[in-house]
Amino acid sequence: MAQQIKIEPVTRIEGHAKITLTLGDDGKVNDAMFHVTQFRGFEKFVEGRPLTEMPSITARICGICPVSHLMASAKACDDLLSVEIPPTAVKLRRLMNLAQFTQSHALSFFHLSSPDLLLGFDADPATRNVVGLVRKHPQRAADGIKLRKFGQRAIELLGGKRVHPAWLVPGGVNKALDPAAREEILAGIPQALDIARRTVEFFKTIVDQFHHEIDCFGNFPTMFAGLVAPHDLWEHYDGTFRFIDSDGIDVVELNEPREYQRYIGEAVEEFSYLKSPYYKPMGYPDGIYRVGPLARVNICKGFGTPLADEELAEFRQRAGNPALSSFHFHWARLLETLHAVEQIQRILEAPDILDKQVRARARPNRLEGVGISEAPRGSLIHHYKIDEDGRMVWANLIIATGHNNLSINRGVLQVAKEYVDGTKLKEGMLNRVEAVVRTYDPCLSCSTHALGQMAMKIELTDREGQVLDVLKR
Amino acid sequence: MTDTAKPKLAVYKFSSCDGCQLSLLNLEDELLDLVGAVEIAYFLEARRKTLPPPYDIGLVEGSISTPEEEQRIHQIRRDCKYLVAIGACATSGGIQALRNWARLDDYAEAVYAKPEYLHTLETATPVAAHVFVDFELRGCPVNAQQLLELICAKLIGRKPNIATHSVCIECKRLGYPCVMVSASKPCLGPITNAGCGALCPSCGRACYGCFGPMEQPNIASLGDHLMQDQHVDARGMKRMLRSFNGYLEPFKQASDHYERLES
Repeated sequence: MAQQIKIEPVTRIEGHAKITLTLGDDGKVNDAMFHVTQFRGFEKFVEGRPLTEMPSITARICGICPVSHLMASAKACDDLLSVEIPPTAVKLRRLMNLAQFTQSHALSFFHLSSPDLLLGFDADPATRNVVGLVRKHPQRAADGIKLRKFGQRAIELLGGKRVHPAWLVPGGVNKALDPAAREEILAGIPQALDIARRTVEFFKTIVDQFHHEIDCFGNFPTMFAGLVAPHDLWEHYDGTFRFIDSDGIDVVELNEPREYQRYIGEAVEEFSYLKSPYYKPMGYPDGIYRVGPLARVNICKGFGTPLADEELAEFRQRAGNPALSSFHFHWARLLETLHAVEQIQRILEAPDILDKQVRARARPNRLEGVGISEAPRGSLIHHYKIDEDGRMVWANLIIATGHNNLSINRGVLQVAKEYVDGTKLKEGMLNRVEAVVRTYDPCLSCSTHALGQMAMKIELTDREGQVLDVLKR
Repeated sequence: MTDTAKPKLAVYKFSSCDGCQLSLLNLEDELLDLVGAVEIAYFLEARRKTLPPPYDIGLVEGSISTPEEEQRIHQIRRDCKYLVAIGACATSGGIQALRNWARLDDYAEAVYAKPEYLHTLETATPVAAHVFVDFELRGCPVNAQQLLELICAKLIGRKPNIATHSVCIECKRLGYPCVMVSASKPCLGPITNAGCGALCPSCGRACYGCFGPMEQPNIASLGDHLMQDQHVDARGMKRMLRSFNGYLEPFKQASDHYERLES
């Protein structure tokens, strides 16, 4: 008799996500599905609004990563205006995006995943949270808070506030960098760099303990996609969008963002309201690909900053090139954090960083525009069409978590098959199922997980919906 | 004082982006003091331990958008002695309330191929449309210092000192040049509640109403001025009013008025 286990809520973004595991007669997992069950309809209600409002409106999609939406939206609008952004404005935008990477990655690693990594996947859920972390590893917990604060403070100094800053606009940014703000961010660099370095060092000492998790946490060949800079350097803001295959060979590179629809299709599954993008030439669902820290690190040949490049060499050697296990998202995230801090320093030391020329002005010169940028959790695509008056007539948004949807589903299935025994539920099994979702740092869980805790109720039911076993925490 | 004697604080989330709750966590420096003064009895983002109700203060983020949320808010009202709606979504329905003017099906079909799987209410509405709310704190997102002021005032037992005047007053106090006078930008500052510190005008940008209508705004007067002197048409007026707080009176009423003028 087929049975189902539901993990609900894996909440976040207006409503809930849930995981359903279907068991075969032997109590082993046959199938797994990761569902996102609600929507807010942003694509529709932006119709008729002037393009200049788009960055501010789309920032409201998410209070955790508003900067990422501002970035992609501003870039789509730049495309509509067809203007060249002043060089200082480009640097300032990069600065804010790197600050966003730093704070978001710190949140993901220290606040969300550390309780599992440092206290153990099977630890008592009562202590397997950030409070337990503070007690057992006070230094690491303090590091996480300080690193996140460094990034958050930089965003605040640039944009006026931390959530939904109004500073990015089509054509550049709203305000030049204040010399005092530059000094304040620079003063925080040595500490942030120390933390980023010692966290990577520390992670390398514990990663081998997780060889079993590495083997089954979304460990399969897929394509990877993301932005890459000239000379194959790591990129987060501009550059070209590239797909590589699971052997690391370049498959295709977009000449310009507007070509994305030739290569990315969007499938809709009846069980979820999160769309599943796939690589069109391979079809659905074979065109599975991953985005985010692991993808970016796999695609690039180097970071271009000394400390991060040294660590990257060791990562390649130990995790593979390309690294295929989604467990290595964690490690890749730490490499990116280290690079982000190094790069923030470099940008702030640029001679023209205080230049007052930070915005190009134009009326729309094109009726269709696409912006691609990298959010901490992966590539973000905003695609707009406007009328002659600059009003929105159509929008399509592909969010980072969407790209990873197919891969998250497959990862959940892989972990569930390995760990879940349907005859008797144990908390540790289901925590691993959640933890594989967490490696992708999906936007739909980052806030409910914010400090490492998630309300969860898991029901094991038979086909008629009768509850056989319940697990609560 | 023992833990049990401390006032109990509960924080809830409905349909929203999480930005307002995050503003609370972003207090960082003051957060530890706050945790010393109140017992955080229910806050799933921050900690696992939940204490049984009743709670002295309940903070609610997000709009009511699903049948399940509609039921849950009534239970929360029963559990909290002092219920505060925080942020644009909880006080006005938020940006997703824009769908209240359209058919839900149009939205669902535009975004998803199989909309029959969607379980949602026809409208996204503020908390106060469902239960009595003791205080509403505006903003998209809320100002963290205002949130702190509100909690402190409640703890001491005085009236919270939350400004009800317009953004214009903030601009004047801070000495920012008026973007409407000096740069002819259509600005919602004259009718928008203060609270952001006139952030947009400080960058030379017009206010777009994150904090919603001030007390007794004169929207008709601003509308006349914008339409006569700044070449904003009725459609533009409607659009400016219908954003993060568009479903909140009197923005809602005024935007409906301009919609009628459009045709």
